[in-house]
Amino acid sequence: MSKKYEITNRIRELRFFAGEMTQQELARRAAVSRQTIIAVEAGKYAPSLEMAFRIADVFGVAITEVFTCVVHELEGKKT
Amino acid sequence: MSYQEKRTLVNILSGVPVFIAYGIYVFVRIRSGSAEPNDLRFWGITMLTFIGIGVASAIVLQILFHIGLSISIAIKKGDGKESEIEKDIEATIIEDEMDKLIELKSLKLGFSITGIGFVIALIFLAVTGSAAGMLNIVFFSFGLGSISEGFLSLRYYRKGLKNV
Repeated sequence: MSKKYEITNRIRELRFFAGEMTQQELARRAAVSRQTIIAVEAGKYAPSLEMAFRIADVFGVAITEVFTCVVHELEGKKT
Repeated sequence: MSYQEKRTLVNILSGVPVFIAYGIYVFVRIRSGSAEPNDLRFWGITMLTFIGIGVASAIVLQILFHIGLSISIAIKKGDGKESEIEKDIEATIIEDEMDKLIELKSLKLGFSITGIGFVIALIFLAVTGSAAGMLNIVFFSFGLGSISEGFLSLRYYRKGLKNV
């Protein structure tokens, strides 16, 4: 049975808890562009493992605290 | 609009006028009788000239764009330190994996259009025997490929990579 993997993230929430860190600041500290942070936060781009680790490192949390994977089965069930 | 989108727009804007200018120039020269449509030397010189103009205009526009961008960042920053302004400029023009991925995907479309154009040009040559027509189709497909590449990049930046 084939599955669809959807990567979700808590970047907006983590930015809030980091003193309402701006996207520009996060981008600068993770060494990526602000456009990329906007796309990742909106779920329009799934970052590479390296970038995901860099973003998690900025917040000082584990990668799983930032990114989670929701698995959709073909029937539309979520696991 | 982000830096990447603006840069892509500048690329498109630098290519389109040169392409239009080429069309007008060729039309006027042939219409006035000062150039022969079957003179391959004329086409070779004209295309080389316009490729040169296109490259030069792209470089000049990119330089002007980056100067304008740096000035606008410095103005926004007000009386901030020079090192902070430099950091802001560096953070703005940074190229990361998403930019590279978008560039790769867009390049693929550009190459595809150019390749299809080349095949059409060969078919045209086989059917009509007109080398000048073939050269123009190849030239046109290069231009179209380059412009499409720019528009696809813009689309990826707007919609994201997953939604396209």
